[in-house]
Amino acid sequence: MKERVSLLQIGLVRGLFGMIVGVLIGLGLVSGIRALLGLPIWNPEAAWVVGGVFGTIGFMLMVGVLRDWIRWALGEETPDFPEADPRLQGWAKYLSVSYDHKIIGIQYGVTALIVISLAGLFALIFRTELIAPGIQFLQPQDYNTIMTLHGIVMIGGMLLGVGAMSNYLVPLLIGANDMAFPRLNAFAYWINVPAVILLVGTLFMGGLETGWTGYPPLSSRAPLGTQWFLLGVYFIGFSSIFGALNIIATVMKLRAKGMTYFRMPIFVWTAAATALIALTATQLIGLSFQMVMFERLFGMAFFEPAKGGNPILFQHLFWFYSHPAVYVFVLTGLGVISELLPVFARKPLFGYRWVALSSFGIALVGFLVWAHHMFTSGMEPYLRVPFMYSTLLVAVPTGVKFFSWVATIWEGKLSFETPMLFVLGAISIFLLGGLSGPPNGVVATDLHLQDTYWIVGHFHATMFGGFLFPFLAAIYYWFPKITGRMYNETLGKIHFYLMLPAFYVQSLGQMQVGLLGMRRRIADYDPALQIDFSHLLITLGGYVIGLSLIIAFINLAYSAARGKVVTTNVWRSRSPEWTLLPSPIPAHNYPEPIEAVGEPYDYGLPGAVYVRTASTAPLRDEGEAALPPDAAVAPAD
Amino acid sequence: MFRNFSRSSVRVLIASNHGLFRHGLVSLFKKKLGLKVEIVGEVTSLEGVIEAIAKRPVDLVIVDYDDEQLNREDFIAHFVSGKGQTRLILVSLSNPESAMLYDRRELPLSQFEAWFEGWQASAEPRPASFGEAGFNHRIRSNRMKHFVVASILVIVLTVLLIFGAGQVRLLPVAASAQAQPIDQLFRLMFFAIAFLFSLIVVFMLYSIVVFRRKKEDESDARHIEGNTKLEVTWTTIPLVIVLGLSFLGARSLAEVERPDPKALEVDVIGLQWTWRFEYPRYGIVSNELVLPVNKQVILYLSSQDVIHSFWVPEFRVKQDLLPGGEEFVRTLRITPTQIGSYKVRCAELCGIRHAYMESPVIVVSQADFDVWVAQQTGESTDPVERGRKWSTQYGCLSCHSLDGSKLVGPTWLGLFGSEVKLTDGRIVIADEAYIIESIRNPGAAIVEGYPNIMPANVGQDLSDERIQDIIAFIKTLR
Repeated sequence: MKERVSLLQIGLVRGLFGMIVGVLIGLGLVSGIRALLGLPIWNPEAAWVVGGVFGTIGFMLMVGVLRDWIRWALGEETPDFPEADPRLQGWAKYLSVSYDHKIIGIQYGVTALIVISLAGLFALIFRTELIAPGIQFLQPQDYNTIMTLHGIVMIGGMLLGVGAMSNYLVPLLIGANDMAFPRLNAFAYWINVPAVILLVGTLFMGGLETGWTGYPPLSSRAPLGTQWFLLGVYFIGFSSIFGALNIIATVMKLRAKGMTYFRMPIFVWTAAATALIALTATQLIGLSFQMVMFERLFGMAFFEPAKGGNPILFQHLFWFYSHPAVYVFVLTGLGVISELLPVFARKPLFGYRWVALSSFGIALVGFLVWAHHMFTSGMEPYLRVPFMYSTLLVAVPTGVKFFSWVATIWEGKLSFETPMLFVLGAISIFLLGGLSGPPNGVVATDLHLQDTYWIVGHFHATMFGGFLFPFLAAIYYWFPKITGRMYNETLGKIHFYLMLPAFYVQSLGQMQVGLLGMRRRIADYDPALQIDFSHLLITLGGYVIGLSLIIAFINLAYSAARGKVVTTNVWRSRSPEWTLLPSPIPAHNYPEPIEAVGEPYDYGLPGAVYVRTASTAPLRDEGEAALPPDAAVAPAD
Repeated sequence: MFRNFSRSSVRVLIASNHGLFRHGLVSLFKKKLGLKVEIVGEVTSLEGVIEAIAKRPVDLVIVDYDDEQLNREDFIAHFVSGKGQTRLILVSLSNPESAMLYDRRELPLSQFEAWFEGWQASAEPRPASFGEAGFNHRIRSNRMKHFVVASILVIVLTVLLIFGAGQVRLLPVAASAQAQPIDQLFRLMFFAIAFLFSLIVVFMLYSIVVFRRKKEDESDARHIEGNTKLEVTWTTIPLVIVLGLSFLGARSLAEVERPDPKALEVDVIGLQWTWRFEYPRYGIVSNELVLPVNKQVILYLSSQDVIHSFWVPEFRVKQDLLPGGEEFVRTLRITPTQIGSYKVRCAELCGIRHAYMESPVIVVSQADFDVWVAQQTGESTDPVERGRKWSTQYGCLSCHSLDGSKLVGPTWLGLFGSEVKLTDGRIVIADEAYIIESIRNPGAAIVEGYPNIMPANVGQDLSDERIQDIIAFIKTLR
């Protein structure tokens, strides 16, 4: 008799309960201590910050992600490949802690889609406000809150999307059965949940008005909601750092036999480059936000000039992470583009090594450019020139990618299923984003463009082209692998053909109004600028993007349940997860170890093999061939 | 390896220490397969092979798989990983039905024959590198045709984009000397963007249209792995371009910041959410920035609360205002070149009314500027007039309306003598003492329905006399 799953067995439910209890404990603790000290009992800043911290701890404890570590501390044994809770089946499994990287990847992915939709909804709210000059329905304070939340929630959503792709794909692509640290992997996912709740919770705590950049002194004076915003970002930072650590260890240690670095699928290169950035830069945003938090809580004047602080210091710390962070979103997406193009062009990736190394080139140069966000900030004026040079250098490895992509599809045999459409769309949009970069990177022109809607347009083009379109391509491409069912191709194409032109209208419109004098982050604009019509178009573009995503979600949800069953290698890919595994993939991936014996993208080379099951008996024994296949290629070890 | 297509036969080198193996293979090639093969040599070691190749190019090396004196891995390392043109097969006599081909794939004998014949016929181009000679003439001319057509389309689209951009409003009027070099750079960049966008997009669209897969065609495209020369080219050219662009950018920046020692000095003070302009030379405090045309002005920018940013789109240049006093004052040089009215717009998010932090910037002739200075320095004898002036200059009116509308702070219309309900429940009469307290110590009495956000430093800057003037002004608002 199948046991009924009670609600309390579901990790998420327990976690949320733990969070509420944690918040209450935090509030009580602060108020209690204050009462003992004879201070006024209610101090909202301190109480809610401690409440937020305790709430997050409560969530992590109750959701069960710390269970094995606690057992280890107590000297108890735990199984090597633990299932979350064997009683949980189907959807309930996805709402509880699991150590399977595929389940974690899907958890990341679904959460990403939810969070991105929420952030998109925020955008549509304030885009509606901007449809015409004057205040329509959103008061400036609420506008600032919604605009800030759009930014930071979307960044959270993109980090989740990056986590989804790298967690699901990296072990499969390198022939591993899981990530190097499955428990850390689960922790890195689950901490996002309370963090996002904190971010959205700011809506009910007076909002915030700082923009996602949270510059002090504004952020040290802004409403209470700012504290949960700082705290939420701080916790998301944990996720990035732990996730990155895991990816690096996995890529270094768990590759299949014969899979040298230059034989890895190209996505793994970008995932590794991304992880390198996230592992080393995230601390800086955590630190800078923590300093603002402490400035507010304890009066430590890090950035308040009246008390000896320096507001520009914050901007250096902040952008030292937040510029490379852009490459965190983008590199992963570019990896998807490079990974999918050869499959749909039936042709090897042009200049594999150059494309692979260009990701590291972008990642490394990305660390040296942060102050280009500060050309008008009032930092030392001479610094602007070296940062201009380093910034424009990013164009070189990025250019290598574009040229190699074009050379890959040139003379290919292209087919245009939905994933390929999104890949091609991504290239064109990322191109727009990339080319709108140098005007901001050159100091003289940036003096005009800084903090305008041009920047908004540039940034959205890089994010749509570098993250969102490739993410959607990846979802469509691996959907049959994940679910064992095919999505609806017609709906997929409708999604694409709505979204691409709508995006162009939106982004070009943003750039135009920015050039003409539209500032960022304003609730209302001067009708004298004569940009009403462009704003109307931008908003309509936003609506169509929203509509197209609704179509996509319907398609994915319906197809996951009712789509045509597919088990084969639908894309005729050479990659191990398609050639060696059934769809959906069983737990622990490859039943037997695999090995790489050739190059990943040898399309058009008859008989070329990339990966195979390592335990395949020598061909001689099967009476087909004389030579043991592993005699020569695999180095003796 | 088909460096020379006129050559009719495949040149083969056999490596084995067993004479039987060598002779067997020679006769196999000649009789059984009937292929045109030229056996160029029989050697017994890798060194022998390398030596032979050095003398005459060889297409194929056949290695005796069963010969234990030959290190197979060395051969593979040399020929498979290496860059050479020569291919390698390993053949075992213990099972003559198969051969193994090591140019990154393996074949059973049946496929091997097909491979060898295809090679021989040279109808199917061998795996080639981009740009390398080594495919037949027809393919090469086709390839050139595609490339030329696409290149022409790139130029067409570039021209169309530049023309199209000319039809759209993109930049506001350039009204300062600093705008000239900046706009020049903008134009250059728009051209470059149009070209580079066309370059990639046209080659992409061309591929999408021309290289689409035919229905039912399940075969792969030609196996092209890459081309180092091309990669180096498209790394080097962008590198040179961006270095050049940076250089031009730095030169423009120097031009934009070129100082004029006789520049007019103006202190610009930003505070939530208004601007104040002080002319130390004339002792003028104003809420609008009035500038003489064709004369450089140096703005000393500072903030009294959070970060703001000074931007007049028509002047192009922008600079943040930092709080913190002396140390944090920043400068910006502007030389207005066109008489007219503009607006300074705060470009750094500074709180609730950030969108409305705009003040007039008026560029006038030198003569009109002198008149304005005279007007400003002569103080009115009417306290009401003075009060109106102070309340404008000190930014009171950016939060308090004169017409009864609700801004961030309570309106002044009908304020004096009225009953005011406070957040702590008290009801007070708005008399002189109340207004003075509200200016000097804004947090002491907060009107119900309004946030406690009035900056305390507003009151510190105002003398008692000026506050009296403002009260006189408020009294008239009925």
